[in-house]
Amino acid sequence: MNKHSFSPSQQRPAIGMASLLQIELTKLRRSHILWILLIPPLILWIPSALNADVNLHIEDINILPEYNFFIQGFMGMAWFMIPATLVICTVLLNQTERTNKGILKMLSLPVNTGKICLAKFLVMVLLIVIQMIFTISSYYIGALIASDLTGYDFVLSFPYAIRVTAAIYLASLPAAAVFWMLAVLISTPIFSVGIGLASLVPSVLLLNTRLWALYPMDYPFYVLMTEYGKQAKDIFTSEIRWIPLIPIALAVTILCLGAACLRFGKSEIR
Amino acid sequence: MILSLEFKKIRRTGYIPAFLAGGLLTSAVPAVHMAARSQSFTGLSGTPFHILMDANWGMMAQLTILLIVCGCSLMYNTEYADRGALKMDTLPIRQVCLFFGKFTVNLICIILVLAMQTISVTLCGICWFPERAPAIAETLKGMGFELILLLPTMMLMLAAASACRNMWISLGAGVILTFTGSMIPPKQFALTQLPFAAPYQTLHTISESNIFPCLMICLAEFLVFGAFEIIYLYIRRKLS
Repeated sequence: MNKHSFSPSQQRPAIGMASLLQIELTKLRRSHILWILLIPPLILWIPSALNADVNLHIEDINILPEYNFFIQGFMGMAWFMIPATLVICTVLLNQTERTNKGILKMLSLPVNTGKICLAKFLVMVLLIVIQMIFTISSYYIGALIASDLTGYDFVLSFPYAIRVTAAIYLASLPAAAVFWMLAVLISTPIFSVGIGLASLVPSVLLLNTRLWALYPMDYPFYVLMTEYGKQAKDIFTSEIRWIPLIPIALAVTILCLGAACLRFGKSEIR
Repeated sequence: MILSLEFKKIRRTGYIPAFLAGGLLTSAVPAVHMAARSQSFTGLSGTPFHILMDANWGMMAQLTILLIVCGCSLMYNTEYADRGALKMDTLPIRQVCLFFGKFTVNLICIILVLAMQTISVTLCGICWFPERAPAIAETLKGMGFELILLLPTMMLMLAAASACRNMWISLGAGVILTFTGSMIPPKQFALTQLPFAAPYQTLHTISESNIFPCLMICLAEFLVFGAFEIIYLYIRRKLS
């Protein structure tokens, strides 16, 4: 008898989170999502590198050119592209399964639906890790080109770049949970995607109000702006206000993920 | 016939309610902005339409472009999901007709959105600038100009959606192009005429000598993208 086969009396082994993650990642193999993750950092940093000399002639803001190059380049990512990529990832994770009703096959497995939902969310945040790696790599390529073109050293230390990028990444997780919940609860893709993308546009405006902490979509930009505040005085606050940021961010993430896990697959099961 | 077929297809996709909601959202931008910061604008000189457009059009245009991106991606997703496109191929309808049917539906929806925005801007002008007469002709001209600037973006986005079987690819490409378009500095005339960047311009902010070239470039882009799509669909049909 094959050592992998099971007799009826034997209990079927439970599918663990690692196996589920592997299954979800396998599904994305031919999705071409890596191009969608790679192009935005290149669009941001390469033109910035070619026009890097503008960083050497800043008169109204007291900031070192290398920090200005890094922060200005990251602004588009933190404000728009990271949250927008999260929205695109929700479409990717949902639509790969809706085509040919693949989700029904997944739901027929002896696995808790909440676990499948969580595995998909983990894939989504893993894809953003990949985008962050592309962003850092593009930054260093851009900084090297800029240094070569201007003769000024634009390259910042690796620990600094990693620290800021990791902080922006962590700040984007509550927004990821919100977008994932929207994608699970709203089965009509145009609404979940539309709400997600529309929510990005006013995030800069909301950052300048007292309600900023209640709007998870502006957290990555908030973290970047506090870094800007550290490097250039009087531009923005230089200290992250952990209270109320951390409690609200945790509450939003847990509530949204909880709602998504509870409702995942319910419309298909019906 | 094509139009009624296209409207029937999108009936249960939420497309029309999404455009209505998007139209309301974009129309709410000037009202909310004025309600929050009216003192920053009521003292400015110029017509209410110019002041309101300067203050709000950037955000309104970006939301409108994102609406186009979502709408176009969804329209072709309904074809490709569950192999609807294959069924359409068996009907005695040319793919080009289907494409232009979808474009017409999109155009009607965008005209509706722009009409809502026009009403909103006019009402905001009457409400917050009561002493200045509303310039209806100027408002209509300005919004008509925006419609022409949106045409190449709509055509390119629908063409991209028709080429991508997976919704996330067309959506991703659209979002990246929206992002790139929003980053182009307004001083660079040639670059601002590209699709996804052109709609951020307003009629009163570009110099008079540039208005005619701007309109001609947008119409030319619209025709070129349309022609490319006809060729693409012809080649795809031959190869399939």
